[in-house]
Amino acid sequence: MTDRQATSSTPDSVDALLDGVDADGLAGYNYAYLDEHTKREVRRSILKSIAIPGHQVPFASREMPLARGWGTGGIQASLSLLGPDDTFKVIDQGSDESVNAANIRRLATTTADVATTSDATEASIIQTRHRIPEEVLSDDQILVLQVPITDALRRVDGSDSANRRRHAHKNYSKMWVALYENIVEYGEIKLSARYPVMVADRYLMDPSPIPRWDVPKLDDADNLFLFAAGREARMYAVPPHTSVTPLAFEDREFQVERFDAAACRHCDSTDTFLTEVETDDGERVFACNDTAFCEKRAANPELTKAHHHDDPKAWGPPTDPAVPYGGDTPPSTNGADLGGDD
Amino acid sequence: MGYVAVEAGEEVIKRAEELFEKQRVDGDTEPVSVEQVDEQLSRLTAQAMSEGGVYAPRLAALAVKQAQGDTAEAAFLLRAYRSTLERWDETPPADPATMEATRRVSPAYKDVPGGQILGATKDYTQRLLDFELTDDTAADPTADWDIDGEEPPNLQNVLEVLRDEGLVHEPEDDAADTATEDDDTADTVPGDDDTAGTGTGNNDPSPFDTTREPITFPAPRPAILQELARGETGAVTALGYSELRGYGQVHPTLGEVRTGNLPVTIEHPYTGDEVQVTSTEVTETECVVPVYEKADDAQFAFGYGLVYGRTERKAIGMSILDAAIQLDGDEPAQNAEFVIDIVDGIDSFGFIEHLKLPHYVTFQSILDRIRAIRDRAAAATGDEEHAAVTADD
Amino acid sequence: MVVVDASGLTKIYGQPCGECVDNTGPAVGDNQCPVCGSVVACADIDFELYDGEVLGIVGESGSGKSSLAELLALDSEATAGTVTYEHYDGNLLAAGYQQRHQLQNERIGMVHQHVRDGLELDFSGGGNVAEKLLAAGWREYDAIRDRVRELFTETEVPVSRMDDPTDTYSGGMQRRVQIARAIANDPSLVILDEPTTGLDVSVQARVLDMFRRIQREQDVATIVVSHDLDVIRLLADRTLVMRHGRIIESGLTDRIMEDPHHEYTQTLINSVI
Repeated sequence: MTDRQATSSTPDSVDALLDGVDADGLAGYNYAYLDEHTKREVRRSILKSIAIPGHQVPFASREMPLARGWGTGGIQASLSLLGPDDTFKVIDQGSDESVNAANIRRLATTTADVATTSDATEASIIQTRHRIPEEVLSDDQILVLQVPITDALRRVDGSDSANRRRHAHKNYSKMWVALYENIVEYGEIKLSARYPVMVADRYLMDPSPIPRWDVPKLDDADNLFLFAAGREARMYAVPPHTSVTPLAFEDREFQVERFDAAACRHCDSTDTFLTEVETDDGERVFACNDTAFCEKRAANPELTKAHHHDDPKAWGPPTDPAVPYGGDTPPSTNGADLGGDD
Repeated sequence: MGYVAVEAGEEVIKRAEELFEKQRVDGDTEPVSVEQVDEQLSRLTAQAMSEGGVYAPRLAALAVKQAQGDTAEAAFLLRAYRSTLERWDETPPADPATMEATRRVSPAYKDVPGGQILGATKDYTQRLLDFELTDDTAADPTADWDIDGEEPPNLQNVLEVLRDEGLVHEPEDDAADTATEDDDTADTVPGDDDTAGTGTGNNDPSPFDTTREPITFPAPRPAILQELARGETGAVTALGYSELRGYGQVHPTLGEVRTGNLPVTIEHPYTGDEVQVTSTEVTETECVVPVYEKADDAQFAFGYGLVYGRTERKAIGMSILDAAIQLDGDEPAQNAEFVIDIVDGIDSFGFIEHLKLPHYVTFQSILDRIRAIRDRAAAATGDEEHAAVTADD
Repeated sequence: MVVVDASGLTKIYGQPCGECVDNTGPAVGDNQCPVCGSVVACADIDFELYDGEVLGIVGESGSGKSSLAELLALDSEATAGTVTYEHYDGNLLAAGYQQRHQLQNERIGMVHQHVRDGLELDFSGGGNVAEKLLAAGWREYDAIRDRVRELFTETEVPVSRMDDPTDTYSGGMQRRVQIARAIANDPSLVILDEPTTGLDVSVQARVLDMFRRIQREQDVATIVVSHDLDVIRLLADRTLVMRHGRIIESGLTDRIMEDPHHEYTQTLINSVI
């Protein structure tokens, strides 16, 4: 397989190459770093993923200047999609200033010359590690999620070939038994992040290590979600308006994280995903995880999560009444007494 | 990391990079040159090339210097660089018999056609620290050797002897006996060449390339060999060792261990003749395993190993794993999926070290769960005194 | 009413040459084709199974009875033959992967000879039974727990052990859990393959009694395969005797036990110690 069609202007000697590397801006590399052949392949995988929601599509993941496990899949997806007119936002654990997010942003601005932003409502492509932003995304936005482990069935079987067969036959009973055994042992489902979901009632999917808080946002959304794993070399997608339901029993419902009525100490919000911080005085305080939105809320406490939409829509807990959110109370057991749980 | 301008993160990265560089340049010594690394630390650069999957000694030396000697980091730099290169040709299958061997030993036989050539090795040397090296005069101990101008003998491949007798089972399937090296020669021309080593003959013009096609299991043998050739030296060695140690049935006899310069040829674009463009230093191993698939037609299982440079333990480990995977079984080193999943150094290095990345969102979620479970258990204990316990029997 | 109607069921291991069936069987005294070496596990098997009836299949090792059981349970592919089944349109043996699994989950229960084929040893006993319910679409945890308890009680497994891993159960308990799984979704056909293998004699009797009770209460059509005449005598209404892959005699169990016609059947009956 040769790449004669590649349009990169490769240096004609090692010395010329090394000279090019000294200059800022990675002279000698193709636009957005990846060669055209790679971009074509990645885009084809993306299209195939969109055509079969929740199904894992293998792709020949290239080595990137970032280590495996640090977002190489997400980067390949983003760099294959970014064009000069795009605006790119990168977050890690909800924060734009996270060091790894900054590094990824740097690669994109240097090789693709795109505009960047920390405002989720302004970005056309958002690459994220382990969170979905608080603000509702629209139908012209793409969210690229970084995925470490692509298969929800990995929890019950390490073998990829066995799991592929299960997916092909929609045979997920092992996963269900694992959830059953969870409840038997702990009284509730102890899965935290990477909560397994059914996509379009057909494929079991791993939504990446987003907190349970973010899982309801996947269902019937306006935007496209792309999930990319560089090391495991797989891509999958949830197209707009696709049904995504977390696995749960009718009488042991899916639950999101609770923050016991704590409020963000910076902006006072009580409806965002918070993370706790131990201060130097030994105090435990909470703060918004989505730092960009937190800034906006600090400036304007009345701001809703859909403030930029004409038709405000509920987006996850606790703004969406359909999503069970406990507040102060421990998880509901629908009347069953706590003591007698078998 | 406060709630401030976005540039803060980038500034932090820049400083971290500068501190890293400082470790290399902050002493009283002269900077090591790339040429010095290339000439004097060739085992290091060979390991970087082997795991990086690209044959380019000077670039490898640069990578080793930049990585301050960390082979995983150096291999990573080479892989990342390789993935930006355009591939402009593929070689026809290379014949290891054309190798100019500088070392060839055959443990299977006492004497072999062409002889046992020890070559440059410290295998039989006692491992004693040589303090004289602290004040090196770089004198060449072979300077006074009496070299005779005779042509080197033809080193017939020992495995051919066994094959002629029909004793070796040829691994069947789609790509016949193709051992695929994942390699590019970028020394003089920053383009890609493909060299495919052969067993006994190859009909497949374009073997499976794991850098171009995603691998799914069951995987074809060329894909497995390619991943092993690019695998992390420690991983390949450890897994190979496990087979010998008792976790498997592969206790091989090496037919050959051969080191030398393998000519790299391409088809001339105009004349169509085969033309040598360069050569790569490789080490090749072939082993046979006395495990017979069929009792009525007993044949040895066969394992093949090929690496850049002289890392013999990796070549031998690779041949053990090739045989083990063909034989299949329950032991870890015989499970193709297990071996190929974990043997890649860039994947393992990246994923293990990624644990250093912030995980506080996931952790918040985990804390939420454990607290809920503990609350529930505490409430249950509290309630036990009041609620009637339902008999379950 | 006929639940299962089998005709010409044949299973050959290896590459059949076309003459295998003619060159094997009780007349020849062997299962292996002298021409091509293939093994004819069973051939030309015809029978009917009626609603609520227990059909016994008895034979020694190599008779083909277990191969036949696997074919009927849809665990292996037949070489030839058709099976019509009241809950399936067409030849049951030609059902696709998805349909097979659905039938195995909801309509046909199988109790395997070897525990590892029938149970996941690292799941709890209750989990193994719950798996059947979950596969059939049960989604209420409490309802699942109740049904598992009910099935454990039916099959006389201590409910207090419900949440223990299956590999901590005794052989008899594991066999009972298998039976619980087999009947979990109220199947219309249950297949028992050597249900007493590996069990102590006293345990055998209790397991058989338990199954007989359940079978009568639920009136579920059953095929029981065994080399042990006592098992057949206790459970089966009618019996097929197999040898070298063919049926050599069939009839009411009582008749066969009291008055065997075929020479081999006579030997079998009289060999009981």
